[in-house]
Amino acid sequence: MNTTLLQVKGLSKHFGGLKAVNNVDFELFSEEILGILGPNGAGKTVCFNLICGVYKPTSGEVRLDGQKINGLLPHEIASLGVGRTFQIVKPFSSLTVLENVLVARGITRYKSFSKIWSIWKSSAEKRAALQILEHVGLADLADRKAGLLPLGNLRRLEIARALVVGSRLILLDESFSGLRPEEVAKLEKLIQDIRRQGIAVLLIEHNVRVTMGICDRIVVLDHGRKIAEGKPESIQQDDSVIEAYLGRRRGVNAA
Amino acid sequence: MNAYVITIATIIVINAITVSGLNVIVGYAGQISLGHAAFVGIGAYSAALLSTKAGLSFWSALPIVIAISGFIGLLLGLPSLRVKDDFLAITTIGINFIVEAIFLYIPFFGGALGIGGIPRIMLFGIKIKGLAFFLLCLIFLSLILFICWWFTRCWAGLASFAVREEESASSSMGISPMRFKLLAFVIGTAIAGLGGALYAHYMRFISASDFSFPVSISLLSMLVLGGMGNLWAPLIGALIIGSLPEIFRPLVNYRILFYTVLLLLMIRFQPGGLLGEESFARHALSSVLPRGKK
Repeated sequence: MNTTLLQVKGLSKHFGGLKAVNNVDFELFSEEILGILGPNGAGKTVCFNLICGVYKPTSGEVRLDGQKINGLLPHEIASLGVGRTFQIVKPFSSLTVLENVLVARGITRYKSFSKIWSIWKSSAEKRAALQILEHVGLADLADRKAGLLPLGNLRRLEIARALVVGSRLILLDESFSGLRPEEVAKLEKLIQDIRRQGIAVLLIEHNVRVTMGICDRIVVLDHGRKIAEGKPESIQQDDSVIEAYLGRRRGVNAA
Repeated sequence: MNAYVITIATIIVINAITVSGLNVIVGYAGQISLGHAAFVGIGAYSAALLSTKAGLSFWSALPIVIAISGFIGLLLGLPSLRVKDDFLAITTIGINFIVEAIFLYIPFFGGALGIGGIPRIMLFGIKIKGLAFFLLCLIFLSLILFICWWFTRCWAGLASFAVREEESASSSMGISPMRFKLLAFVIGTAIAGLGGALYAHYMRFISASDFSFPVSISLLSMLVLGGMGNLWAPLIGALIIGSLPEIFRPLVNYRILFYTVLLLLMIRFQPGGLLGEESFARHALSSVLPRGKK
């Protein structure tokens, strides 16, 4: 629990004059669930995209197991064992649910020129993919076209793909949004399971209750800056957090 | 079979080969190409030059022709595949015009006169023509269909599908979109090169206008008509677009109008093509053959 898996140091991303992420530091330990919390526009997703290689940081660095990964392309970071989901789900719509997972299973092959010519439609591959679908509770929909699934199932499909790719770290981008309470409960259990397998989880979340319940530690961002970091209980007591986020959110909810 | 029917059939089969190459690029990898005729032309001109100027036989020239087409596909794919959708469409149109202009204006390629006197294909000391040529093309078509079938079943094909469906999600799964787009482009252009070589040795005279932009459009029409991404679509599309004008020969002046109406109707009512998932042809087939092909 105490070895550092992901280290973010002085990370900044500026879009012209907008400082979307401004000098953010945090560490993620192995086998930890770390939440990134913050109001809309706080820079959470940008921070994610910097870690995944979608954006190049203006300054600062990201290290995975001590190896510098900023500057690598998204597919290179993925093949280091970093799986992710998208806030706006991105299924391979015309492929089946099973094939969606199979795409992720090919991760060990896409780098080599010789391994990409073997057949993926083998029963061994299908069985392995089906096992993952069972894990997220989508096995009965395996042969359905992914484009036909409702949002809750698509979020689970995203997690299934991320599980295959993320052997070390899984990044979940608002995977709880738009889910019904019973789906939220299921997903919480799934995330706990993932951690028990020794995989670290970094999650972005809007939903304060979920974040408080599931995360070991929380980093709070506001306007691109880190304003607090610590255990859920201490975050709840933090004045700047209450002012920037929780206080205002309660006000909005009450209105 | 009389010579007329064999000629039509041979052209249909050559087109089916060429369109299969287009299917890898557009249907499997989802990268629109409106300049496919250029690569057929590169194959045809390479084959013609290698046989008339270098004196190589069709068989010894063929690997070189395929390599040249694939290599030029790689060179032109590198810059063009950086752009997407409409921009890629425009870029590939540009490629078509540039390649056609090079054939037309550079004397080495025969200029406006084209290249004539391309020898017939020899096999076991026999000149291949007529029905034999048609059968030879059919063998090549089966080979290409097998390659395409394999492609849809191998990891490279699955990666291409993923890139077609959702590029950023594919890269989060270790797929380099550029790499697999290029791979599909090279396979597609190499297949086009084979089609071009067969065309050159069949017609025995080629000129730049054989590979102009309207030809690219008609190749794409065949694919759309058959159903992009379907293995058999190129054959069905080539068959229909290749035979209809012959059946409706009295309407020859309205041919382009006819294509246009056909394409518009397809896009409106059968966007997945004749072999698409929800097409009437497929429904009809599945009612005739219950539990038939999926």
